[in-house]
Amino acid sequence: MAAMEKVSTPRSGAHTVIGSSIVIDGEISGDEDLVIQGTVKGKIDLKESLYVESSGVIEADIETANVEVSGQVTGNIAASDKVELKADCKVVGDIRAPRILIADGAVFKGNVDMDVKEAKGK
Amino acid sequence: MAATSGIIGRGTVVRGNLSGSGDVVVEGRLEGTVALEDRLTVESGGKVIADVQLENLIVHGEMGGDVVAAERVVISSTAKVVGDIKAPRVVIEDGARFSGSIEMDVKLPEGI
Repeated sequence: MAAMEKVSTPRSGAHTVIGSSIVIDGEISGDEDLVIQGTVKGKIDLKESLYVESSGVIEADIETANVEVSGQVTGNIAASDKVELKADCKVVGDIRAPRILIADGAVFKGNVDMDVKEAKGK
Repeated sequence: MAATSGIIGRGTVVRGNLSGSGDVVVEGRLEGTVALEDRLTVESGGKVIADVQLENLIVHGEMGGDVVAAERVVISSTAKVVGDIKAPRVVIEDGARFSGSIEMDVKLPEGI
């Protein structure tokens, strides 16, 4: 069998986009940026950044490096770097990340865990 | 509707059900079921393992699963497809690898 030739066109800022008319019920994983304008239910597991745009609706647990939420998220978010809740977003769930930003106007309900080192001993 | 409404990039894997309208391009991997009102394009390097139901399907990459298309299925010269296809119009280009059945809903002449 001939080796598969990769003729893929190079795309700047290669990433995945789930448009507003798309619904995914399942699991998304990957090692590139993901932009969600549509609906995702299930689980998201990324090594890069997740952008939930204002039309995006997520009912999923999220594990990623960075998250920027302008839309709606129901589920727990665990980020290895940063979680940013923009104004007008609506998030219900627990957030765990070293850096968490919540903008004025954002709606959030849940626990925040910045992994603050408590006094020595651990 | 011609606007691309979804891209599954090279480094991304989607497992589950994908549904909606608009065109979807797969450069990465998609497993599960697909129900689209418009077009799914599997780029070369992309891999789809799913039963799909849609209007148009264009495969440049790899695909496994049954296809029901309302309009047209194109299996390009770089494609590798395993599965059954049901569509009014099916195109298989020279160089394509395909294994499965094709049903074009042909009305056979009387007496056959």
